[in-house]
Amino acid sequence: MRIAFAGNPNSGKTTMYNALTGRSEKVGNWGGVTVGSKEYPIKEEYTGGKEVVAVDLPGAYSMSPFTPEEGITSEYVRTANPDAIVNIVDATNLSRSLFFTTQLLELGIPVVVALNKSDINEKEGTKIDVKKLSEKLKCPVFETTSTEGKGLKDVISNAIELVGGGQSAPYVQADINLQNKAEVDAEDRKRFSFVNDIVANVEKREMLSSETTKSDKLDGVLTNPIAGILVFAAVMWAVFWVSQAWLGPLVADWLVGWIETFQEWVAGKLENSPAILSALLADGIVGGVGAVVGFLPLVMVMYFLIALLEDCGYMARVSAVMDPIFKRVGLSGKSVIPVVIGTGCGIPAIMACRTIRDERERRATSMLATFIPCGAKIPVIALFAGAFFAGAGWVSTLSYFFGLLLIFLGALLIKYITGYKYRKSFFIMELPKWKMPSLKFAFKSMMERAKAYIIKAATIILICNTVVQIMQTFDWHFNVVEEGAENTSILASIASPFAILLIPLGFGVWQLAAAAITGFIAKENVVGTLAVVYGLTAFIDVDELEMTGGANNVAMATGLTSVTALAYLFFNLYTPPCFAAIGAMNSEMKSRAWLWGAIGLQLGTGYTVAFLIHQFGTLFTEGHFGNAFIPGLIAVAIMATAVILIGRKTRAHFDEKYRLHRDGKSGAAA
Amino acid sequence: MSSTIIATAVVVLAVFLAGRYIYKEKKKGSKCIGCPYCESCSKIDKDS
Repeated sequence: MRIAFAGNPNSGKTTMYNALTGRSEKVGNWGGVTVGSKEYPIKEEYTGGKEVVAVDLPGAYSMSPFTPEEGITSEYVRTANPDAIVNIVDATNLSRSLFFTTQLLELGIPVVVALNKSDINEKEGTKIDVKKLSEKLKCPVFETTSTEGKGLKDVISNAIELVGGGQSAPYVQADINLQNKAEVDAEDRKRFSFVNDIVANVEKREMLSSETTKSDKLDGVLTNPIAGILVFAAVMWAVFWVSQAWLGPLVADWLVGWIETFQEWVAGKLENSPAILSALLADGIVGGVGAVVGFLPLVMVMYFLIALLEDCGYMARVSAVMDPIFKRVGLSGKSVIPVVIGTGCGIPAIMACRTIRDERERRATSMLATFIPCGAKIPVIALFAGAFFAGAGWVSTLSYFFGLLLIFLGALLIKYITGYKYRKSFFIMELPKWKMPSLKFAFKSMMERAKAYIIKAATIILICNTVVQIMQTFDWHFNVVEEGAENTSILASIASPFAILLIPLGFGVWQLAAAAITGFIAKENVVGTLAVVYGLTAFIDVDELEMTGGANNVAMATGLTSVTALAYLFFNLYTPPCFAAIGAMNSEMKSRAWLWGAIGLQLGTGYTVAFLIHQFGTLFTEGHFGNAFIPGLIAVAIMATAVILIGRKTRAHFDEKYRLHRDGKSGAAA
Repeated sequence: MSSTIIATAVVVLAVFLAGRYIYKEKKKGSKCIGCPYCESCSKIDKDS
C-alpha cells in the first residue's frame, strides 16, 4: 500500500515523512528543499501492523507544473496510482493551500487533509472549523503538528481505511480547452473563488494578512538590497567568529588535549617497536586522523548555527536579497538556493541545481556553487586562520564572501564564453513565517554532520594518511628514507613536479603540493596530510585555550609567510572540490565539455587567485614581487588566452543558433 | 614484542575495516561517505 504526501512547498511534508518513517531527510524552513521523490515504509505504530509505504513528493502549488519539481509531483499523483493521498496543508495559509487540495480531490484517489502547523495557528489566534472544512471538502481533515507528532496517527489510520474507496470532488473543473489561455484563467479564478468561499466559512483570524506586522517590517529591512547584504555579512561574520574563534576552539582545545595524550601514550608503547610501525600508527593514523578530528567542534558549532538560521527562516530572506544579483550576472534566481546549501556540503548544493530550468544556468550554477567553502574546508580555514592570523574570525568570513564574489565573476565569465540570450527569469519563493528556531532540530542536524565527519575521518582520511605515511617513509626501492633525505621518498618524488608549478604561487614545496593533491579526495585531507608530512598534531594549543599556540608550529614548519599562507588557503578553497562533488557535477551537467570546462575554470580560478595574492601581497609587504613572477604571469596569460579563444569560438555559433534571418534576409520576406 | 604485534594488528584491522566500509558504501551507490543525506542524493540521481 502506497500513500503519497503532497502539498504546497514548505508545508511540512518532509518533516511529517521523517516523523512517520523514522528517516532523517533534509528539511528546511523554506520551499524547494525536496527536489525528488522519496519513499520508505511507515512505522508500524502508525499503521497498526500493515505494510504501508510513504512517498514524499516535492512541493507543488497546482497540478499544472511551473517548475521541474512540481512536474514530478503532478506526474506521480496522476500516473503512479497511489492508494491514498495525504494532502499536507499549511494551516496558516489556508486560502493558498486549498487550490491544490481541490485539484487533488478531483483525481478520484482517497484524500486525507492534514492541517499542518496548527500550533502556529493556536499562537496567532486563528481558528479553523475542522468539521465544517471536512464537510465542504468531502474528505477527512485533521489538525497536525509534524514537529511534535500530533495528529499523525489519525491521518494515517484514516488514509488506510479509505484505501479502495473513491473520492468525491467538491469542485469539478469545467470541460474547457486547456490550450486556451482565457478559458484556463477564467477556470482558475472560479476555483480560487470557490476556495475563498470555503475559507471565509471555516476560518476566523485575529490577525489579518493585510495588516503590517513587526515581521513584515523586519522583512522589509532584511530583503532590502543594501541593508540585507550588510546584515547578511554581519550574520555570517558572527557565525564564523563563534564557531572558529570563540566557542569552537574552546571545546576543541579539550578534545585535542585528549588526542595528544592518546598519541603520546601510543608512541610510548611503541618505543621499542620498529620506527615504521610507530610512524604509521602514532603519527599517521592517530596523529593524522586526530589532527582532522581536532577541528570537529568548530565544524559542529558552525553547523548548529547554520541550522538555527535555516530553521528560523533567515536563509530564505538571504535568497530574496541575492536573487537580483544572480540574475544580473546571468544566473537564475534559483541559483541562490544551491549557493546557500553549499555552506553545508557541495554535493547537495550541486544536486539542488536540478530545479533550474535553463540548461546553461543549471550547468553554470553547478560549476560555481562549490566556490562557497563547505564544512569540509572549515578545518583548513581554521588551521590557517589560527596559524597565521591569530585565529581571526574574519578569515572565514572573507573566504565565504570572496567565494561569492568568484561566483559572480565566474558567472560573468561563463556568460562571456557561452553567449547569453536575454530572457526573463522568474524566481518565486514564499518567505516562510519567522519562528523561534528549534534547538532540537539544530542539535540533530549538528549531530548528523558530526557523525558524517567522524565516519569520513575514520575511513577515507585514515586510509589516505596511512598511504601518505607509507609513501613518505619509503623510497621507490622500498628502503626506509633516512633522516635528512626526505626528498627521495615516493611521496616527494610524486609531489615535486606539481610543486614546481606552484612556485609562482609562493608554496612550491612538495609537502604542500602533496597536501593540496590529497585534498581532492576529501578537503579535510589537507590538514591530515600536513600533520603527517610535517609531523604535527597539536594544531590547537592546550595551554593557551586558543589556536594560535599549537598552530604556530605549522607556520614554523611550513615556512610560509602570512601572504603565502593566504594564497595557499585560497588555492585549496577555490580549486576543484573533492572527487565526490566532481562526480555530482558530472551527473548534473550531463556534458563532458562542460565538466572539463568546470574543472578548468576552477583550477584556473584557484591558480590565478593564489598567484595574485602571493605576488601583489609580497609587493605590498616586502616591496618586490615574489618568486617566479614572470613564469606565473605567462601561465595566467595562457589561461586568459584560452578563455578568449574558447569564448570567440563558442560565440561564433551563438547568433546562428538564435538568428531568425538567413543571409541577412528575413525568412518571412523570402 | 607484544606491543609490536598488537600495533600491527591494529593498523591492519583499522585499514581493513575502513576499506571495507568505503567499498560497501560505494557499492550501495553513496556519493559521499558518511553523509546523512547521501541516500537521497543517490536516489535523486537515479530519478533523472
